[in-house]
Amino acid sequence: MNQRTRAYLQGRFGDYYRRTELSLPPAPGLREWGVIPFTEGPGTTMVRHKELVELGDLSTFLVDESPRHVYFSAGQYDDPGARSMAEKGWQGSDLVFDLDADHLPAVDPETDSYASMLETCKAALLRLLEFLRTDFGFEDDALTVVFSGSRGYHVHVRTDAVRPLDREARSEIAAYLLGEGISGVEALTSEETVAGLGRSTPAQKHTLTTDGGWGRRVHNRLCTLVESIQELDEAAAIERLHSFDGIGEKGGKMLYQAILDRPEQFSAGNLDVAGQYSHTLANQLLESVIEESAVPIDEPVTTDINRLIRLPGSIHGGSGLAVCELSLDDVESFDPLIEAVPEPFSGAEITINNREQRAVQLSGETHKIPAGNVTVRESIGIFLMARGHAEKAPE
Amino acid sequence: MEAIHARYPFLDPARTAVAEADVDLAALIRADDPAVARSQDRVTIALTEGTIESDRRVPTRTELLSYPLGRVLISLIDVPGAMDKYAEAEANTAYERIREDCSREDRSITLAAIATDLGVGDSIEWPSGDAGRYRISVERYLELAPDDESWSLAVRELADGYVTIAREELLELLRRTIERQVRAGLPFDVPPTIEDALAPTVAAIETQLSGVSYPASIDRFEPEAFPSCIRSLLERAPSEPLDPLERFALITCCSAVGLDADEIVQRCGRDDESFVYATERLAGETLPYPPPSFEMLQEAGICSGEHDGYEHPLVAYADSLSDSSTAVSQTE
Repeated sequence: MNQRTRAYLQGRFGDYYRRTELSLPPAPGLREWGVIPFTEGPGTTMVRHKELVELGDLSTFLVDESPRHVYFSAGQYDDPGARSMAEKGWQGSDLVFDLDADHLPAVDPETDSYASMLETCKAALLRLLEFLRTDFGFEDDALTVVFSGSRGYHVHVRTDAVRPLDREARSEIAAYLLGEGISGVEALTSEETVAGLGRSTPAQKHTLTTDGGWGRRVHNRLCTLVESIQELDEAAAIERLHSFDGIGEKGGKMLYQAILDRPEQFSAGNLDVAGQYSHTLANQLLESVIEESAVPIDEPVTTDINRLIRLPGSIHGGSGLAVCELSLDDVESFDPLIEAVPEPFSGAEITINNREQRAVQLSGETHKIPAGNVTVRESIGIFLMARGHAEKAPE
Repeated sequence: MEAIHARYPFLDPARTAVAEADVDLAALIRADDPAVARSQDRVTIALTEGTIESDRRVPTRTELLSYPLGRVLISLIDVPGAMDKYAEAEANTAYERIREDCSREDRSITLAAIATDLGVGDSIEWPSGDAGRYRISVERYLELAPDDESWSLAVRELADGYVTIAREELLELLRRTIERQVRAGLPFDVPPTIEDALAPTVAAIETQLSGVSYPASIDRFEPEAFPSCIRSLLERAPSEPLDPLERFALITCCSAVGLDADEIVQRCGRDDESFVYATERLAGETLPYPPPSFEMLQEAGICSGEHDGYEHPLVAYADSLSDSSTAVSQTE
C-alpha cells in the first residue's frame, strides 16, 4: 500500500468516524483498547494496553487518528492500561466466539466466492446461535452478534455467570460446540447392569442420554431414521439400513425386525435393542450429526480470556467494510456485502489503479473491474485498496 | 454450638456459631485449650492420612474450634503442598459425612441445605421425586467439574443452560466446592502473638511430617549424651525462662529418651504451671510428639549448627550413649 493510498484511506476512515456514532461495549473503562494504525510497509503494529481514559473521547480519537483497525478486550481489568496481563488484574471476560469463513471445513477459499464463503459462515452462525440458546440457555439479550467486517462473525455472550469462567471452562465450551472429545456413542450413554431377560449372566445395558447435549441430537436423528424406516417396505428398509457402514445384510435385518417389533425401545434410547448393530448404527449417526451440526468456531478466540476483538461500528482496515452489530432477528436476512458497506463511501466515484482484472460483489451487484486506472464507486475502490488489490490513482 | 456445626465447620452456620461464641483464639492458645491439641491432630492426620476424623470422641465445642485453629496452623506450617492436602482432607471427610447424614431416615440435613450453605444451591435444580437426577447450571458445572474425560462437557446432557448429573456426581461437585472453600484464603497472615504461641505446635507438626529418622526406642536418660544445644536447654531450665520452642525441644527430647511427664518436670527442675502443663500435653499424649530435627533447631536459633553431620539430636544422643547398643530401631 503506497503513501497516497494510505493517506486516502486514513482520511476517508476519519470522515466515516466523523459521521458515525459508535456504541461502546458495557464497562468500556475496564477494558483494554488497541488499534493498528496505518503504517508504511507490509507489517502491522498493534498499539495496545490502552485504557479508554488515555484515548480520551473515543469518537474524537477515531476521527483524529483514523486507525486501520480498532479493538477492545473481551476481558475487564482493575488496571486495563497495565503493560502485562498479571498487572492488569483480571476481573472476568465476555465469552466470545469467532466464526471465520476461511477456516470452515465446508469452504474452499481457493474456489469459493467471497459471497458464498460468507453465506456458509452465516449458516454456521445460525447453528452457533441455536446451540447458545437451546443448549446453553442464554437469553437473547445476553447475545451480541457482529459481522466482523471481513470474513466472518463474532458472538459476544455477556452474563454475570460467564464472566468468571477460566480458560479451561471456555475450552470445554469450545470442545462442546466442536463436538470434540466424544470417543463414540457409548460416551453418550448411561450404563446399567441388568440380569434376566433370557440372559445367563448380567450384562451392561446402554441407554442413550436424551435430556440434552450431543446424546439428544443423536437420539433425535435415530428416531427420525426409525420413523422413515417404518414407512418403507421390508426390502427398501433393509437396503437403507444396509447403506450404513458396518451394517451388513444380517445387521440390516436385525435392525429392521427390532424397529418393527420394539420401536418404543428406540424412542427410549435403548442402544442394545438390536445388539451390536444398534451401537454401530448410532455411532454412524453420531459421526454424521457431528459433521453436520458442530460449529467450527476458532477455538483460541473463545479460550483466550484476554482477547482483543474488533469494535462494532469501526471499519475493518482489510476490507473497508463496517464491523456491524446485528439484531438477532436480522441475522438470517443480513447480507454483509450490502449492509456492511459504509454509507459515507457509497455515493462518490474515485479513480484507482487496479492490479488485475477482478469481479467484486458489493452493494448487491457484481462489478467487473478491469486492470489499470479505472474510476469506480468509492466503496469498491476502498474495498480493493484495503484488500491490497489496488492503489489510489490521481483523480 | 450444635453437633452439626462441628461436623461442617466450614459452613456459614458454623462460622456464625463461632463468631457468636466470641472466642479469642489467642486466649485459647494461652490456656492450652483442648481445641489446640485437636487442631494439631486435625492438621497432622489431614496431611498424613487424608482425613480429619479423630479416633476419639471429641466434644462439640473442641471439635468446632479446632477448625479455625487448624486454619491458623496450616497457615504457619512450612510443608510443601500442605494447604492443598489439608483442604482435600477436610473435603473428603465432609463428603463422607454428607453421604452418611443425608441418607439417614430423619433427613436432619439435606443436600439442598448443604448446597445452599455452600453458596451453590441457586445453581442446582432439585428433583421433586427421588429420581436421583439433578440439574446444575452449566457455568457452575464448568467451575466445579474435575478434569476427567467422563466429566467433559461434550459428553454431558446439556439443555437450557443446565447439565444433568446423578446424585453421586452432585456429591462429588459438593466435595470439590468444600475443598475450594477450605483452600480459599489460605495461607493468611497470623498475628505474631498467635504465631509465637503456636510455634511448638507448628514445630511438632513439621517434625512429624519432616521424615527425618531418629531412634524410636531409647529408654535411657544420660544428660551428657545430648548434643550441646539440648544439654544447654537442660542446664538453663531450672533457672531461666525458656521460650515456647525451647521448651518444646527440651520436653520432646526428654520424652523420646524414656522419661515420663513427672520425670521430665523433676529432671528439668521446673514446676511452674505452664511447664508442667506443656509436659503433660507433649509427653503424656498417646500420640508421641517427635523432637525437632537439627535443621529446625537451627532455624529456631536454638542450635548453632555444630553437630558432626547428624540430622537429628536423638541420633547424636544414641551414638553418644555409654552403651550405644540400646538404640535399637529407627522411625521415619
